Amino acid sequence: MDEETSQYYFTASMDSGKTLCSLLKAIQFQESAVFCALPEGLKFTVEEGKCVQASAYVPADNFTEYHVRDDVDVMFKISVAVLAECLNIFGSGEESSLKMYYRCEGSPLLLVLQPQSVYNVMTDCEIFTQTADSVLELRDEDCPEVAKLVLKAPAFLGLLSDLERSCDIIEINLSPEHPHVSIVTYGMQDRSCIEVPKSSDMVQSFSCEEPVTLKYQLHHVRLIMKALAISTKVVLRCSSNGLLLLQLKLEKEDQRQMFSEFYIVPLLDD
Amino acid sequence: MKCYVPGSNVKVLGRTVHALARFGDELYLESLPECMLLRTLNAAESAYAMVKFNKNFFSYFNYNYYSTEDNEGLKCKISMKSALNTFKSPTHMDKQVENLEIKLDPEACKLIFQLKCKHGIVKTHYVSILDCKAMQAVYTKDSVPNRITSSQRLLSEALTNFQSSDDQVTLEASTQSFILRNYTECSADSLKVIRTQINLKPLEFTSYTIGTETTITFTLKEFRALLSFAEALSLPIQLHFETTGRPAVFIVHNGSTFEAHFVLATSKADNATQATATQNTTIDRKRKESSFQDSARKKVHIDNDISKCLDEDSHLFNFIDIPDEIPPPSALFNGDGAINGVNEETNNVNSSKINNDIDSDHIPASPTAKAMIKSVFRRCFESTFDPRAIRGVILAEDSDSE
Repeated sequence: MDEETSQYYFTASMDSGKTLCSLLKAIQFQESAVFCALPEGLKFTVEEGKCVQASAYVPADNFTEYHVRDDVDVMFKISVAVLAECLNIFGSGEESSLKMYYRCEGSPLLLVLQPQSVYNVMTDCEIFTQTADSVLELRDEDCPEVAKLVLKAPAFLGLLSDLERSCDIIEINLSPEHPHVSIVTYGMQDRSCIEVPKSSDMVQSFSCEEPVTLKYQLHHVRLIMKALAISTKVVLRCSSNGLLLLQLKLEKEDQRQMFSEFYIVPLLDD
Repeated sequence: MKCYVPGSNVKVLGRTVHALARFGDELYLESLPECMLLRTLNAAESAYAMVKFNKNFFSYFNYNYYSTEDNEGLKCKISMKSALNTFKSPTHMDKQVENLEIKLDPEACKLIFQLKCKHGIVKTHYVSILDCKAMQAVYTKDSVPNRITSSQRLLSEALTNFQSSDDQVTLEASTQSFILRNYTECSADSLKVIRTQINLKPLEFTSYTIGTETTITFTLKEFRALLSFAEALSLPIQLHFETTGRPAVFIVHNGSTFEAHFVLATSKADNATQATATQNTTIDRKRKESSFQDSARKKVHIDNDISKCLDEDSHLFNFIDIPDEIPPPSALFNGDGAINGVNEETNNVNSSKINNDIDSDHIPASPTAKAMIKSVFRRCFESTFDPRAIRGVILAEDSDSE
């Protein structure tokens, strides 16, 4: 068995592919994602115009079996839509167990799906893979973190969905003084402002030494909404260069966790 | 002006703004010593809505908070889009919003809506003021002969039978019956148009007074909007109207805190194509309250034979009748019956005697667009034009042939 799996660059199996599928759909704003199997877990990365980088990260403990050859880099590009569709091949109501195989560079990703309620039914899907493009390295070690916020994801989603869609720019003001968080949007003629004090129920932790004002494309921030809808908690980190990092935690029924991560590049004043 | 709206009433205000948004693109706001008025007018100026919130709707109300010298209330016009943005989801609003503060400073150019929500969140909307004028429509609602009070469900259930593409509805009110049918332009292709007609009995209504029998036509879009407003607040609708050409006023109020008037312009139905012909069928039509939905039936009659088009009426026909005891459909309304009814009406049209009287024992038959078709195709029946037949004066002589 060991010898058999070691011919493959990567093999993994899972009892249910459902959560993985919804996580993939949450970052599905680009056609293809970079699939990267690390010893710690599986990572899918999607980029939007070098401004937003979204990753879905599935730690290895979510899998019942997980092997990655440590002498090679397992990294390739794959269509997110096709992968999500294959994971959902028995319909959204059906839980199906999942096995993944990737033999070597250039070979397709092989999926074997077996629905739990029907016996003796099996699907295997081969998804072609492409050589991965380089992934942006947005994190800058020299820029310290200036603010960190931990919020409840459903409440934050409620705030974002209340924002006027036609606005282009979202301004986030963080300050150690009251009101600690304020989100301002500028519409055609109007201005809307949402203030959240750190004592609010939705704020689980707040740390900010100096007041900061950051501007982002509202469209970019809205990309996280799908992921927010399936997550329980969100951590916002702002670094001194304005880069916004949002880390979202998805808690499964079996106490395991999956994560998604969004880097958003700020708008600079001109 | 400064006022506070308690959380439970924010939903009502939100519903109001959403209903008004289906009327017009601009919202007029006016504060008076005892009340606040929201008004709107549609682009075609055929529909107007005014909602009056009394002082007791608010937990605090001061129309003259910023003490202007002339002691006048404030007026302003804002864009409906901005107002909608403030009240994004009225369904969940009462759960999230604890308090709404509306501030209008005479010097400022922004109207401020401040929503204090759960979790200590404060949402502030600074809405630009477009104008400082007030707008008011002139209409009478008290001295009109026709008054109907209906539960909010009855009319909206009746409207679900209409096509979403229908844009106008004709209301035929007599002491015996209340008929709603879709209004189709006579130029529309009668083969493609679905006609819907709903007959409601006066007993269905909470109160029903018809002083002068009349037929009015008004827009469905606004009618639907005001019905969904009444339904969302589960309040009955009062309909006050006179006759064709005079506005119909729909009133929704809860008796104490607010009153909404929706005024729709009415136009005349085209008699040639819209009149209801009558057909003698004896059916007992005692009504029961609950029978409305069960007995609503649709009967579609399609005649595809185009050759019949000129001498017989043939169009998609969508008819709804709501008698208590339903006779077998074949006996009531088989294909022959429908055509007979139409022929009868054709004769009526031809002899310019349109029988508009609706007896309770009569079933209205399909309206017809035949008169129009005849006039369009009349030339087909005339003898072919022959230039040689015209002899006499030459108006312009032939030019020289070169």
